[in-house]
Amino acid sequence: MDRKGLHELRPGEKGTIVKIGGVGGVHRRLLDMGLVSGSEVEVERVAPLGDPIEVRIKGYHLSLRKEEASDIQVEMQ
Amino acid sequence: MSRGEILKAVEQSLAHLQGIFADEAEVVIADARYGFISGLLKDVIKKPPIERVALSDKIDRVVVDRWLGIPLFLGVMYGVFQFVFTLSVPFMDWIDAAFGWLGERVSGIGGWGGSLLADGVIGGVGSVLIFVPPIFLLFIAIAVLEDCGYMARAAFVMDRVMHKIGLHGRSFIPMILGFGCNIPGIMACRTIENPKDRLTTILVNPFMSCGARLPIFVLLAGYFFADHAGLAVFSMYIIGIVVAMIMALIFRKTLFRGASGHFVMELPPYRRPTVRGVLTHMWERGRLFLRKAGTIIFAVVVVIWLLDYTGALEPIGRAFAPIFAPCGFGQWEAAVSLVFGFLAKEVVVGAMGTLFAAEEGVLGSAIATQLGWTPLVAFAFMVFCLLYVPCIAAVATIKSETNSWKWPIFSVAYTTAIAWIAAALIFQVGGLFVG
Repeated sequence: MDRKGLHELRPGEKGTIVKIGGVGGVHRRLLDMGLVSGSEVEVERVAPLGDPIEVRIKGYHLSLRKEEASDIQVEMQ
Repeated sequence: MSRGEILKAVEQSLAHLQGIFADEAEVVIADARYGFISGLLKDVIKKPPIERVALSDKIDRVVVDRWLGIPLFLGVMYGVFQFVFTLSVPFMDWIDAAFGWLGERVSGIGGWGGSLLADGVIGGVGSVLIFVPPIFLLFIAIAVLEDCGYMARAAFVMDRVMHKIGLHGRSFIPMILGFGCNIPGIMACRTIENPKDRLTTILVNPFMSCGARLPIFVLLAGYFFADHAGLAVFSMYIIGIVVAMIMALIFRKTLFRGASGHFVMELPPYRRPTVRGVLTHMWERGRLFLRKAGTIIFAVVVVIWLLDYTGALEPIGRAFAPIFAPCGFGQWEAAVSLVFGFLAKEVVVGAMGTLFAAEEGVLGSAIATQLGWTPLVAFAFMVFCLLYVPCIAAVATIKSETNSWKWPIFSVAYTTAIAWIAAALIFQVGGLFVG
């Protein structure tokens, strides 16, 4: 299986979260917002200026910067 | 158990959990929580509410589109300003007429009591209440944008730019609120989690030209830049934004170095705003302005009237005037209005009106003939008014929001320094070209 950082996915691509990295506040925030391993995540779009990105997770929409997305390891489907 | 013992016990438990699950306690708890939630959802939800989400998706396809996103954002901002300023004109005219009528009635009383009531109280309170329509309408517009879900998209679209200048996508709403009144703008910074982002946003917020500065610009631009008045007023807003951006960048490189806060934020589905919700938002923010109008500004107006009535105003102005000479407006009348403008910027126009005993309609020409101002001086004065000291109520808000005297004092000092430098530069350099 192909492993990538979430920031590398293009709009429309899906993956399953395998690991959440990041430190301190960001790490906790990602977990709080439902980014836990095993969850399916899909990149919806990139903001007009190229950052942040919008993803769909657990049936809702979440925005995060590419920098934060790079802390999330996903397994491509 | 003492604090030390508790913390020790916590660490032991964390290590114990880590040993069992081979993962951090935080991750384990989040996993368990979401595991439980998804199990529960499978049991209780029959038909997921797909329709609204689908409509929301369709809207988003346009609103945050790669090409349309930014023009649409600018269009929305333009629409908000049109809405606010066009709709507030009739209301402002009514208030103006009502206070004018009231003033005429009262001035018949005569004596110092009549003067205090007519020129001081009614004139002063009227000059403040006239801003209630634009400020409240702006808060209505912002509440609608927040409640329908667009503000989150605006932060999404603008985060890259805000991040570049050292701010946060969430700094954006406080900055926009600042155009109405800096007090709710500064208070709205509470939503910014990172302390460095928050302090930077608070400190540059006063450069967003608030509603109280508008009458100064309208008055001076209307007389000195007659045909290009709109452009002159608009340039004030742009100068304020540019100075805010530059200062934010400088602060993030010096005082508040370090990483900016994260941008992990929900983009909620679009919803129809409720009247009740919008009005609540408007009132929560607008009442801060009303309170300022009812207390500080009222007191200031009475003090100015008293100083004027006893002839003490001129010596105060003469003491401060030399400081402003390099900026071109070193007349004592200008100094008086600027000194009192610290208490509330709308007072600048009111003070000039009292000093020249002129109605707003002829105040511009009174300033030009009696002070000998050129358009260049007027422009330097406008820039000074834009940038110098946030009003005393905003300073008090910075004090309460940062819970220290350090930041409000710093804010007063650095904004005044920048205003003086900018005005002096404009007058001195501009003088080489205009003569």
